[in-house]
Amino acid sequence: MLLDFSQLGSWRWVLCTLASIAMVFLLAPLLLLVALSFDASQWLQFPPPGWTLQWYQEVFADPDWLSSFLTSVELGAAVTLASVLLGLLGGFALARGSFPGRELLRGFFLTPMIMPSIVLGIALYAAFLRLHLAGSFLGFVLAHLVLALPFSITAITSALEQTDKSLEDAAMLCGASLWEARIRVILPAIRHGIFTAAVFSFLTSWDEVVVAIFMASPTLQTLPLRMLGELRQNLSPDIAVVSTLLVLGTVILMGIAALFNKDSKR
Amino acid sequence: MTLAGVVQPAPASLPRWRSRGFAPALPVLAFLLLCFALPVIVLLLRSVLEPHFGLQNYTALLATSTYANVLENTFLIAGLVTVITTLAGLPLAWFVAVAPGWLGRLTFGVVILSMWTNLLARTYAWMVLLQDNGPINNFLIWTGLIQTPRPLYGSMAGVVIGMVYIMLPFMVISLRGPLAALDPAMFQAASLCGASRLQAFTRVFLPLLLPGLAAGALIIFVMSLGYYITPSLLGGAQDMMLAELIAQQVQTLLNWGLAGAAAFVLLVLTLALYTVQARYLAPHGRNRG
Repeated sequence: MLLDFSQLGSWRWVLCTLASIAMVFLLAPLLLLVALSFDASQWLQFPPPGWTLQWYQEVFADPDWLSSFLTSVELGAAVTLASVLLGLLGGFALARGSFPGRELLRGFFLTPMIMPSIVLGIALYAAFLRLHLAGSFLGFVLAHLVLALPFSITAITSALEQTDKSLEDAAMLCGASLWEARIRVILPAIRHGIFTAAVFSFLTSWDEVVVAIFMASPTLQTLPLRMLGELRQNLSPDIAVVSTLLVLGTVILMGIAALFNKDSKR
Repeated sequence: MTLAGVVQPAPASLPRWRSRGFAPALPVLAFLLLCFALPVIVLLLRSVLEPHFGLQNYTALLATSTYANVLENTFLIAGLVTVITTLAGLPLAWFVAVAPGWLGRLTFGVVILSMWTNLLARTYAWMVLLQDNGPINNFLIWTGLIQTPRPLYGSMAGVVIGMVYIMLPFMVISLRGPLAALDPAMFQAASLCGASRLQAFTRVFLPLLLPGLAAGALIIFVMSLGYYITPSLLGGAQDMMLAELIAQQVQTLLNWGLAGAAAFVLLVLTLALYTVQARYLAPHGRNRG
């Protein structure tokens, strides 16, 4: 009765109304971003007095936006690589090892996930000041790696747990060493898990801003940091352009993910 | 079929005291100890060591009215965000679960799109929407509900609206599993026994969803407690939350002792609430969603 849309009766209208309000609430800010990026008025008038591509030209011509974009990409790539490698090691230990305290170790590996970013940010800032890593690319990678690693370990461990361990044993019976078996037989079998780990690691670094505040230097600025700086100074239409491009990127990623899902279901 | 039985004798009967397979964990463990556990422990130690040994930072945090206000704001905002998100998330998740095919998928797609959109992009949109001469105030004046613009930007209302926007997708996602697990037969039974829709809702639907609602609400409350960016961009100085206090102590006042104490409070609350969640509200462990 309550789970069948056609049998909801008068409740259907209540539910539809509430859901529509929530949908408007969720969609309106995203649509506003797109509208503002083409808004001819400098002062963010809505509705706009006219439409322009001027802000897009400005953003693409500005070397600072490009360099912070590239920094974010480089950082994300480095974090992803390290996160997948360490994730594989951690995953094999958690999924294949048997040693006392394994569940405790699993819990410890996942703790950074629930750590408030601000606490991690200032803790690492203090530590890196002492180690002369503050404001360095390496420090930035290490900090984001702490945040990305739990996602990578979770994805890879669950992929390994779903893979039959006897595949490994069979490869070893055929003469492979343990790690040869793992690399040549198991890695291809868990490639979906590795892909998930890589995507989540990259996105964690790509979107992260709180820890980044404490890792940055004037010459080392990621895209979110550059946006934060602009937001604190002035609400320039540049941000609307960058935001719109990011929303567009999200839509494209979701499209790819949907195709991917369809393929794997077939 | 598996090869296990062929390849090796079943080891289940033999107790294995020897550890196997720990070595690969070593680099990960070393990394997290050095770059995560140690820095956090050092930070917390500074709260009782700076400027000198003692609990002075904790007394300052609780006794100074400015800091006590921050704690109060933090709980108030996190509480309001949790209640509103739960009330708004339930009908939305319910709609996603029961709406016919494409409509449900489309709605869920919008939820995911907003969740995956860059946090700063979303906060920027609300900074514009909440301005005195922004679309929301203009709309309210146009409808005649208010005569002069309400100060939304730079107020607690603005912070709550912006944070509800960010938390809503999490509630919809945490309710997806529990809603899918509801058995339609339950409601047929309720209907056969003569229950009205309202009775079925309050006596079957809500009680069955309660663990999911509680788990989602708890996660949202914990995340809200530690939120930094959105309150700092949408709120005024009088709406400061705990995370902003921590950042301010480090960045402008260089008072690491007090920052450490505030971090300790935030950390203890977070870990305690997550433990409650893991122990009582998540019977399926990691399979949350």
